Amino acid sequence: MPWVAGWATCSAGVDVATAQASAVQDLIDVFGRLPGIGPKSAQRIAYHLLKADAEESRRLAAAVVAAKERVGFCSRCFNLSETEICALCTDERRDTHVLCVVEEPRDVIAVERTREYKGRYHVLGGAIDHLQGVGPEQLKIRELLARVDAENITEVIICTNPNLEGEATALYLGRVLSVPGLTVSRIASGLPVGGDLEYADELTLGRALEGRRTVDHPAPAD
Amino acid sequence: MQLLELWLTDFRSHESVHLECPSGLSAFVGANGMGKSNLLEAIGYLATLSSFRGVPGDALIRSGADTAVVRARVISDDREHLVEAEIVRGRPNRVLVDRQRLRRTRDLLGTLRVSVFSPDDLSLVKGSPGLRRDYLDDLAVSLHPRNDAVRSDWEKALRQRNALLKQVAGRLDDSAGLTLDVWDSKAAQAGTRLMEIRRTLIERLATSVETAYQQLSGSQQRVDLVYEPSCADDLLETLRSEREVDIRRRLTTLGPHRDELRITLDGMPSRTHCSQGEQRCLALSLRLAGHREVAREVGTAPVLLLDDVFSELDPSRCEALVRALPEGQSFLTAASGLPESVHPDRVIQVTREGLVERAGAN
Ligand SMILES: [Zn+2]
Repeated sequence: MPWVAGWATCSAGVDVATAQASAVQDLIDVFGRLPGIGPKSAQRIAYHLLKADAEESRRLAAAVVAAKERVGFCSRCFNLSETEICALCTDERRDTHVLCVVEEPRDVIAVERTREYKGRYHVLGGAIDHLQGVGPEQLKIRELLARVDAENITEVIICTNPNLEGEATALYLGRVLSVPGLTVSRIASGLPVGGDLEYADELTLGRALEGRRTVDHPAPAD
Repeated sequence: MQLLELWLTDFRSHESVHLECPSGLSAFVGANGMGKSNLLEAIGYLATLSSFRGVPGDALIRSGADTAVVRARVISDDREHLVEAEIVRGRPNRVLVDRQRLRRTRDLLGTLRVSVFSPDDLSLVKGSPGLRRDYLDDLAVSLHPRNDAVRSDWEKALRQRNALLKQVAGRLDDSAGLTLDVWDSKAAQAGTRLMEIRRTLIERLATSVETAYQQLSGSQQRVDLVYEPSCADDLLETLRSEREVDIRRRLTTLGPHRDELRITLDGMPSRTHCSQGEQRCLALSLRLAGHREVAREVGTAPVLLLDDVFSELDPSRCEALVRALPEGQSFLTAASGLPESVHPDRVIQVTREGLVERAGAN
């Protein structure tokens, strides 16, 4: 790759668009669209891959394709899974009557890290957010209600994010889950308000799980 | 609270600026269009991450550049901090304090506090109620940064409720009704808190504003601030009783976003029954009172940014304003020369070529 040195050394002040080969720019753009990666990081990753030997790029590409092909959603809890039913749903040592409801698969990992919880999960696939076109119908809420019925669930712990959308979703769930014999609780705060579950440390989230409280029901409008 | 040093890269008209900032009063002078106000705007940006001229972030990036950077060394809470903000075209801004990236911009509030006075402040008195609500809410956040969470929860809940009202397009089924219950309850929770915050603040400000007005105007006129909510006290009840109307109009008709701060001078409504001079003086009083309250609450005066305020005032009011300003660091801009009563510690000429310190200010 004789042209590498040419663009790698070009500095600010040079017209970047013409100094950078368009395939490089495409690569930077692809990384830049990923969550949590800013323009500088995108550029750094792209340069790194182009400098490293070709095998590394092949491995990366293969890993992305393989994951995308093999990993789907568990048909019961909607967590990421390589099998029809995920390992957490089939683990017989777990309490089968308790469900922890989270927004995203990454939140399952966060709760698992606490080692405080021994029941099963249900992943909603987001939170109510009308600005993003997400109402209750777009979430796995119907499926949740069906599970509560079919699996003889006695307790549901709502572990949505402690931000406005997460709280609203919790309130909505509290309302639709008000069935006799079912305890519905919300993890206690102590979690940073406006934050994401994902970023809470194990200890804080563990305590929040322990100190969960019953969800207040919004009284219906007349 | 003090700004020690300021660096700008591609901010508005300034390609590259480095400015050391002594305590006391610094004046930026020079012809219009040289970017005097942009310097104040940059300082303000580091405090609030928004422009006090109400323009979006992209407008702050020098044309032809993709990124603007504002960086400053500041002293706050007796500690020195390095605050850096990077404004990137079409992307969320990035903020670092002491080289640590802030995950939430809200965490920045309080690191640098500013009070801004600008000729646009006249609209605080003359303009729409929204400007007075913003004045109250901004001040509430300056006094207690955690109030920002209440304000943003209310605004978000309102936006969600309005989005839902649009989606149901005039007809509410059971499921949407349930979701609307949820947003009513969330909006009422945050909205009621916000109204309480505004009420408490107005009580606290009332005497402060009157004192400031009497100092600036040299008169004994009475100033009253009255909070006029758009709805009866219980916000949740209001949202429910207005539901039919809201569904038909596809937006939330009543709530804290429709409330008014009424200001009267000797009992007369200032918006409609005061002279322009009285209105200008009232606007200054609102700003001055806010500045004093924050200084009292925080224990140290915010950095004062006076953007071209003297050009609109007669000499006696200029003098009264200068006398009324509390101790602390201040920056001002003046296009048409400084009034006689203003004695800056330092005068900086802003020219096309850059900043030049002018000797012999005092
Ligand atoms: Zn599963």
